[in-house]
Amino acid sequence: MSEEKEKRKEKEEKEDVEELREVLSVVSKEVPSLIKSIIGSVFSEEAGRDMGKAAAAFYKELKDAGMPEETAVKMTENYISVFTSLGDILKGVGKEGKVIISTKEGEEIGKEISEEVSRKIKEKLAEKRREEKEEDEE
Amino acid sequence: MKTWSETNMKVQGIIIAGLSLIRLLLSLFALWLTLGWKVRKTRRAFEKQLIRQGMAKKDAKKLSAQYSKMKNEIMDSLKGSLFKNI
Repeated sequence: MSEEKEKRKEKEEKEDVEELREVLSVVSKEVPSLIKSIIGSVFSEEAGRDMGKAAAAFYKELKDAGMPEETAVKMTENYISVFTSLGDILKGVGKEGKVIISTKEGEEIGKEISEEVSRKIKEKLAEKRREEKEEDEE
Repeated sequence: MKTWSETNMKVQGIIIAGLSLIRLLLSLFALWLTLGWKVRKTRRAFEKQLIRQGMAKKDAKKLSAQYSKMKNEIMDSLKGSLFKNI
């Protein structure tokens, strides 16, 4: 009986080790490739060229409109910083306990919460009224 | 008392975890090594386009510095999350 139990335990442990091996191999393979693809989409010759084209067109438009050189450069810098704020996004994602919810989802959750809160308030009020009634009757 | 197979399993698990961690760290290190080179290439392509439209080289370099700043921010947040989880 105990031998059977031991065998079962051993089998379970073997399965756990197999599972751990699978999980770790997937993590060690997938995480670097995910980071690589994110970085590759921002830091590549093509991405730099495209971004440069956009910024240059913006700068040229400003210059053509008669904007002073210094202001045009400053505005172009601000224009680029909008696209290069990936670090801030990553920082936001990395923060513990922070979850990003879409606007629609957020609205639905908000609706659910307000419904639940108003239901609870109504229940409490009804309970209070009942108690007051009982006290009056006494 | 622990049986031989139990100890064996635990050792096996630790070895697997260690190997996977080493593999992960090596991949991230390789990524870090190539990142600097990629940033340089991106910056050069970016500056080229700005200079072509008549911007001064000095200003173009100043604008492309955003890429280096972004790289540092990404590395910092990656390092932060990695050391927080280990």
